[in-house]
Amino acid sequence: MGHTQDGTEVTVELEVNGRQRTRTVAARTLLVHFLRDSLGLTGTHVGCDTSQCGACTVELDGVTVKSCTVLAAQASGSSVRTIEGVAGGEDGSGLDRVQQAFWDEHGLQCGFCTPGMVMAVRQLLRDNPSPTEDEVRHGLDGNLCRCTGYQNIVAAALRAAETPAGEVR
Amino acid sequence: MYTAEFAYVRPDDLDGVYSALDEYADDVKVIAGGQSLLPMMKLRLTTPGVLVDLAGAQDLHGQWCIQDGVRLGALTTYRQLQHSPQTLSLLPGLADTLAVIGDPPVRALGTIGGAVAHGDPTADLPAMLLALEAVVHLGSARGTRSLPLQDFITGLFSTDLADDEVVIAVDIPQPPSGAGAAYEKFEQPASHLALCGVAAVLNLDGHMVTRARLAMTGVAAAPRRLGVVEDALTGTSVSDSALDEVAALAVEGVEPLEDLHAPALYRLQLLRVATRQALGVAVSRAGAGWAA
Repeated sequence: MGHTQDGTEVTVELEVNGRQRTRTVAARTLLVHFLRDSLGLTGTHVGCDTSQCGACTVELDGVTVKSCTVLAAQASGSSVRTIEGVAGGEDGSGLDRVQQAFWDEHGLQCGFCTPGMVMAVRQLLRDNPSPTEDEVRHGLDGNLCRCTGYQNIVAAALRAAETPAGEVR
Repeated sequence: MYTAEFAYVRPDDLDGVYSALDEYADDVKVIAGGQSLLPMMKLRLTTPGVLVDLAGAQDLHGQWCIQDGVRLGALTTYRQLQHSPQTLSLLPGLADTLAVIGDPPVRALGTIGGAVAHGDPTADLPAMLLALEAVVHLGSARGTRSLPLQDFITGLFSTDLADDEVVIAVDIPQPPSGAGAAYEKFEQPASHLALCGVAAVLNLDGHMVTRARLAMTGVAAAPRRLGVVEDALTGTSVSDSALDEVAALAVEGVEPLEDLHAPALYRLQLLRVATRQALGVAVSRAGAGWAA
């Protein structure tokens, strides 16, 4: 990671969805804006911008974080996966099991929270492959949905848990 | 929302951090997980000219067994602790407390160093760390020093941290064998911040309390020990009515905060109730052993 002379710009080098990306941006650039504005990956949403809603959730070195509360500079040198890097999975085709479960259970209405929800459910299932309904509700504590009342999102998480990882249906 | 402009540096080691703090002196903040600092910077509540990222300092990462407990590097995240069964098995109460901090993605980045250095009056972990009698290690180009957390926290967003110092580690002694612990919290539902949180660590001999450590957060300008309750409990024979009486003492000497989420009198009532609940849970766990 390099710095310009006054240091208010930084060169950010990231692996995003398996591809190495380098951009020089203002040091105060948030990871979510780096992804959306510098790289054009607009699947990651800016919702509340205050670390509450989870619409900006991405994986940073394999762990979900809220990208509105991480500097792009902090993430430099790391690996990031966004919602754009979820579909296709290992074999390069189709939705992953969490996305498919959201489709099957109609786990979205307006869809704004969905990218963050999918990332959060993936983390939940990595940590706890067979969660109870209560564990799903607690596990999604950091992600808000203003449409669904969460019912179908929880159903989708439970359905995804029943689908072997790597298997679409 | 953008923060004010700043220069960003990420030194490769702790000496580099110390040098940067020296060099930029009055206009610098250190960033660890950033889960409290970045929201404050977005609101321009703080506008440092230079941000020093601690992440490159390997000395601040890690967990070590020490003679009487566990040493946690300042950059240990809440999530790492939640996935550290050995540490959790030594320190009763820690797992319960970690589980109610923020939410999972926030816990993935928030650090124990940040929890103590920020001086947030509503932070959960400091309450449990006070009840566990944690010790904070500080470092600077001048050297290192250590002090009990209860001396380190000095007031509202205030600590004993000097401008050129960073928190490098937190030691948490293991309480005497058979200790039972609990953390009971009433939270503001949107922010998850504590309106009141009470940590209790108790040892019993039969029904007799032999050792009591309690601390609260969210109620006053800073998390602090509940010494009056500790004194009243020690030597007491446990019963529902005895715990009721002792819990009522929790508010003695407490000067409550007040905001739009909770008036002062309500916070004091929460303090009585959370203390009673924490005592009940800690008693039920004491002596019986407990599982992380």
